[in-house]
Amino acid sequence: MESPYELLLGALEQTASSDAVRWLRGECTRLSRHFEENPFFFAFSGVSRHFDRNAEVTFPKGTAEVLQRQIPGLCLKHWDEFRTARTVLIGLLLTLDRPDRLRTLERLTSSADIRELIAIFGALPLLPNPEDLVELARDGLRTNILSVFDAIALRNPFPERHFTEEGWNQLVLKALFLGRPLHRVVGLDARANPALAEAVDYLAHERWSAGRKIPPEAWRCCTGYVTDQIAHDLERVAASPDRGDREAAALLAVGDTTGRLAPIREALPAECADVAMGSLTWDSLGALLATPV
Amino acid sequence: MKFLDSHVHMVSRTTDDYQRMAAAGTVAIIEPSFWQGQPRTEAGSFKDYFNSLIGFERFRASQFGIKHYCTIGLNPKEANNEKLADAVMELLPLYVCKEGVVGVGEIGFDDQTRLEEKYLRLQARIAVEADLPIQIHTPHRDKKAGTSRTMDVLLDAGCDPAKVIIDHNNEETVKEVLDRGFWAAFTIYPHTKLGNLRMIEIVREYGAERIIIDSAADWGISDALAVPKTAALMKEAGIDMRAIEQVSYSNPLIAYGQSGQMRETDWADAAGIDPAALFAGNTLLRGGQDVHEAMTKYMVIE
Repeated sequence: MESPYELLLGALEQTASSDAVRWLRGECTRLSRHFEENPFFFAFSGVSRHFDRNAEVTFPKGTAEVLQRQIPGLCLKHWDEFRTARTVLIGLLLTLDRPDRLRTLERLTSSADIRELIAIFGALPLLPNPEDLVELARDGLRTNILSVFDAIALRNPFPERHFTEEGWNQLVLKALFLGRPLHRVVGLDARANPALAEAVDYLAHERWSAGRKIPPEAWRCCTGYVTDQIAHDLERVAASPDRGDREAAALLAVGDTTGRLAPIREALPAECADVAMGSLTWDSLGALLATPV
Repeated sequence: MKFLDSHVHMVSRTTDDYQRMAAAGTVAIIEPSFWQGQPRTEAGSFKDYFNSLIGFERFRASQFGIKHYCTIGLNPKEANNEKLADAVMELLPLYVCKEGVVGVGEIGFDDQTRLEEKYLRLQARIAVEADLPIQIHTPHRDKKAGTSRTMDVLLDAGCDPAKVIIDHNNEETVKEVLDRGFWAAFTIYPHTKLGNLRMIEIVREYGAERIIIDSAADWGISDALAVPKTAALMKEAGIDMRAIEQVSYSNPLIAYGQSGQMRETDWADAAGIDPAALFAGNTLLRGGQDVHEAMTKYMVIE
């Protein structure tokens, strides 16, 4: 079976310039024969001297299927040549039989530019020994550079699978705080939990006190964990003049099995009918609200 | 009109400056590595500083629709701490080949010591090997001799003058710099460097060929709008528009574009300010209400 890195290299071969791919293959051969840190760092940065950062890599159908079978949840949208080539190099590093390869990855991260950080964090779900990478990912989320935050938090199956509940909740709350489109967080429904539901409700109170809005998608985190307090707050959301708010309330109300949200089902029959028909989902609401990326 | 400020230390500027620069038409900036007002004592401080130049500062600028580039180097003031300087020299190769690094800089002389010359030479070699332009800081004291000596060292190290931008020139240094084939940059900076009325006379005398104006705005009393203001003042003084465009935009683009890391399409393609790149709840972009006043009432920098 071909490794993910070979598959990526193969996909790159289809689209990138042959000179660039030849260079990358040469670097991979050289580094796997004799690995040294600095030449590895230079190759990683040197990707920007050989590839086209604006060129998106399209994965052949077969390749995409194999990759997604190997790594469930992996998103193959928006892979540019820089990111793809750098993922190949990170993959090479972490499959080498080298005891301090993780230290090398940390050092690489500690002097990386924005696009390099995006490649490193985007590669996380492809890498072996994920348990060793959790701290790197959590530390990465402390950034305020949105594109770097997004590389970990959005369209990335790594946090869902490997974060503790504490780490997961911090990710979702920061994504909300930064106004990121929650429907692109992989595993949002599967990792729902009562502590997060309460924290989101608390954030809503804080926003309302400040005269600000809470994004409708936030309420998705309360699915399955609607307390009396949350039910009470959702009535306010259901009465909002903003359609997105009302739709969020309807989405929760239709799925509610506790009876707490029955009044909302009565108050929002049209929205609830859309949910029942499947024309209104959390993903469709999120997509409507989000800036296209 | 578009402007490129090829020397500005944004790490010590506020978001107000970014806003005003964007409103005044500054589309791209280059931030040279320099000292930070007081000497650093650890190599790690340099590493984090370089990281901010290729990381957070780049992001901060992007919030205002401004493309941010940088030059990486060990400045001459801190080159006098040999132990520290050696540790910083080990870091440089990690950074000079990063995306958006358009040169090695700002390097050169301060007190013109033996150690300053040593690290100028070593860094000139790094630039030659990486095929990158060099951004030169010329000394404030004994400037004329220091500028000559800088050029001697660079030529001796094998540098191509067409890839070297000598900065902080004045009426006394410009002729030799141009005669020897280097780019001559002028820093419009109140009190200690060059005022923009003087700059007009320099362009009248030497033309616009290989001449660049920049702000070098930093933590001192300086002006992040120095480039657009000087351009406006030049227009008022009847300088040819083509010459104004050269010194304030296309010359630095050509000079630093030799790195292969900066192209006009980097910002021509940009759809302006990306609202998704803004922090929720912040109103970073209030528009440039005060820019018009700044540009018209306080155009002269002395």
